[in-house]
Amino acid sequence: MYCLLECPQIAVACFATFLLTIPVAQAKPSSARVARQVDNVLAVALFDESTSLAPRCDDATYIRRVWLDTVGDIPPPETVLEFVIDPSAKKRKRDVRKLLQNPHYGKNWARYWRDVIFYRRIEDRALLASPAMVADLTQRFNNNVGWDKIATEFMTATGDVRNNGGTAILMAQAAMTEQTTAEVARIFLGLQIGCAQCHDHPYDRWKREQFHELAAFFPRVGVRPVRTDTKRSFEIYANNSPKNRRAKAKGRPQREHFMPDLENPKAPGTRMQPKFFLTGASLPLGTSDAERRQQLARWFTENRWFATAMVNRMWSELVGEGFYESVEDIGPERQAKAPTAIRLLSNQFRASGYDLKWLIETICQTNAYQRESRPRRDPKDIPFTANVPQRLRADQLFTALVSVLEIDEKNLPPRRRKPSQAGLVDTRKSARPAFNRLFGYDPSVAREDVAISIPQTLALMNGLQVNRVIRGTGKNTMLGRLLADVAGEEALIEELYLRCLSREPTSSERSLAFAYRNEIVRDTNYARRMAYEDLLWALINSTEFQYRK
Amino acid sequence: MKVSNPLQRHMQVSVQQGQVVSRRDFLRHASVAGMTASTLNITDVLSASTESLRTRGMACILLWMQGGPSQFETFAPKPEHENGGETRAIGTNVSGIQIAENMPRCAQVMQDLAVLRSLTSREGNHQRATYLLHHGYLPLGGVKFPTLGAHVADQIGNAACQLPSYVRVGGRLANAGGGGFLGVDYDPLVLQSAQKPPANTKLTTSAQRTARRLQLLNSLQDDFAASAGAQIVADQRKLVQQAMTMIRSPHMEAFDLQHEPQSMRDAYGEGEFAAGCLLARRLVEQGVTFVEVSLRGWDTHQDNFSRTRQLAAQTDQPLAQLITDLKQRGMLDRTLVIWMGEFGRTPRINPRGGRDHYPKAFSGVLAGGGIQGGQVIGRTNSAGAEVVDRPIGVNDLFTTIYHTLGIDARHENTSRIGRPVKLVDGGEVVQELFS
Repeated sequence: MYCLLECPQIAVACFATFLLTIPVAQAKPSSARVARQVDNVLAVALFDESTSLAPRCDDATYIRRVWLDTVGDIPPPETVLEFVIDPSAKKRKRDVRKLLQNPHYGKNWARYWRDVIFYRRIEDRALLASPAMVADLTQRFNNNVGWDKIATEFMTATGDVRNNGGTAILMAQAAMTEQTTAEVARIFLGLQIGCAQCHDHPYDRWKREQFHELAAFFPRVGVRPVRTDTKRSFEIYANNSPKNRRAKAKGRPQREHFMPDLENPKAPGTRMQPKFFLTGASLPLGTSDAERRQQLARWFTENRWFATAMVNRMWSELVGEGFYESVEDIGPERQAKAPTAIRLLSNQFRASGYDLKWLIETICQTNAYQRESRPRRDPKDIPFTANVPQRLRADQLFTALVSVLEIDEKNLPPRRRKPSQAGLVDTRKSARPAFNRLFGYDPSVAREDVAISIPQTLALMNGLQVNRVIRGTGKNTMLGRLLADVAGEEALIEELYLRCLSREPTSSERSLAFAYRNEIVRDTNYARRMAYEDLLWALINSTEFQYRK
Repeated sequence: MKVSNPLQRHMQVSVQQGQVVSRRDFLRHASVAGMTASTLNITDVLSASTESLRTRGMACILLWMQGGPSQFETFAPKPEHENGGETRAIGTNVSGIQIAENMPRCAQVMQDLAVLRSLTSREGNHQRATYLLHHGYLPLGGVKFPTLGAHVADQIGNAACQLPSYVRVGGRLANAGGGGFLGVDYDPLVLQSAQKPPANTKLTTSAQRTARRLQLLNSLQDDFAASAGAQIVADQRKLVQQAMTMIRSPHMEAFDLQHEPQSMRDAYGEGEFAAGCLLARRLVEQGVTFVEVSLRGWDTHQDNFSRTRQLAAQTDQPLAQLITDLKQRGMLDRTLVIWMGEFGRTPRINPRGGRDHYPKAFSGVLAGGGIQGGQVIGRTNSAGAEVVDRPIGVNDLFTTIYHTLGIDARHENTSRIGRPVKLVDGGEVVQELFS
């Protein structure tokens, strides 16, 4: 299946025929057509007449879902209403396109990848590289730079980690040879070759030697502190003629990579030639760092697993489960659900020039994406019959709170935020980092393994900050303004539902809220205001608010 | 009588102790409507009478040495062999037993420690080994194994305790696991630091208003609970319940080390790990069943000797004091203390003065819980490279831990996909610990 040829050019040619690719120069594949094809392939592969497919979700659910999945925020109430009453048959596709042009799209996904990379950091000092990474990646995503080019930047970067976001993976792994190797394979190819570091992989075909041949692309890169008068930082740097010829000190360049001798750790080990395990293509010993990493990035991004890993990850985020169970453990030994469907989508993603906006637009147009959500299926049930509620990532939840409550992210006195800037600049004053520490999770971990916790529950239910910003007194809060502006009880209840859950209340919810309001006003000395504070409190503490349906 | 179903067991515990119902069972039983309001009353009932219930039953404190502690520099020195390096051995208060010079305080409580010098496994990768030494199993796709603390909380958790039955001190510890298929209510309460009690635990509104809000939240979620959010809402309801029970409890004080006299804090020593050990004792005292405290930094691939000296200094005094303190309070016999990491370090010293990963022969310590202290079990050869006497596999260790806590290690749970999973697969009790 793989071309075990020394010459990279021939290997690539071989590979291209295997992939049935359309040359990148041609027009991009039509997202609508590919979405239809994927649905058809899924239907053939998985469903029959007896399959219970979830119906297409309603417009209100769709618009909230697609907002969270693209710009990482929930839609304002007027947007929901406009969308729902819009008679256009093409509005779903149109709105995805529009949202992908919004600068928050890049920000949302840059933060996602920040979490992918930094949840696996070796040391906390690596977080120094995080702001530059988010800033650079936001820009790349918004300019729709191809995923292959972005991956290449990550794999080949040098420079100050505070200036060049491409250094993030190397910095997160302290530029240590084996760790960096395992991470790039995990992130870009979805392959767990890292386990082969110490022993032949127990469940996979990879051999220990192959891991260390891959590691041989990274020995000459290192990390070192840089200091100027005004700041302290680190830089990723290459050294092609380091003095230490053998044992690599932590994070320091070495001329070539040596595979340790397990029986005799004092021995120098075996010198490894850079060789790409998936194709067998190799570089001679002595090749410069720049050339090694450039060439490896080329081989990575041409590989079928590069496209497959990204498609599987994005599908998993958007539809709720991947074709492969784990987004970071795919590969030839793993069984995909509906393998033809992911092959098709991966090939077209490659043909699109690894166009990420195209990929999101395509997935969002599938029936698989647009179905109503159901609880996560039992492993023995048929996959992709429904979407799955996804817990909001910390950034999404924080942004949603900030939007609903109209608070300034910088924790200044609450006021309406300017839509042009809000959320685009992470400042030290923002409560966001602390919120992320409490609510964040590693997005590569299976979503069903990410549980909510008591400290999170307490922070939202019983946090002083939350309780301050939901107050209905004065005009400094969203609720205060709303209480002053809206007289009718029904209208107020509707408005709060629309704001928080992007939908109208059901009739039972409406009467429940109304009854609650009356009870508070009648039975106690509570003011009307307090009844609505309680309703707002309950809405933002509801799981429906904290998940995307 | 052995009752296998956790619900029945909790019920039984509650009934035996004159309680109406435990909080967990209450959740499982309660009808959705009105749940929160009536639970508040239950909570009040419980807090009035828990004083007499607390501190019964077995508990376990896991002191986790993250990164793989060097056995040569802690509990298994080899001063006679070049592999032993510069570390010398010292005598203990049990004649014939020597441990590394880095552990002088532990040497003085040796009569209560059982040192296992023949632990052996095949897993030399941090992630997988951390998983293995927390779960007794290696990761297996499709099965969400509960971690040790979750099993213990499930099996012998004190239903009347208002604090979570499983607390983990110290944040980022990958692969240490959680409730797994037992559910979110068996996840540990994770504290970022022993010196910072959990946040947001003071009610921000009146108790009455909080109760109303909780009730409103509960009924608002009925629709989502009946559709896509079934599991999600159920999980949240459990956690809300646990959280509210916890913060209303007078035992919340247990989290605050300021309530300890300065002399006691001094006795445990300085630093985060020492504070964690003291906190563990306080929590167990209030009926928490399983507390896990981590000390990071044992991955000494370079400068092994100076680094392990510092690390041992951070663990020696707190461990010794924990044993002493538990004993003085009459708690040692029903509190099992485990000191271990994911593997040991290589007998050979590498060119950077470090030791690398070595799962083949490593050490751990057990104390309390009725085990016989003052003994060393197992032996390695003079080079420290091979176990030559009494090998103890990970499943033996886990079987022994469960046995000590009065838990049937062969007990079978049913995983999410309906597969029966034993607490431990195979393994024998290390009987010498009980002789």
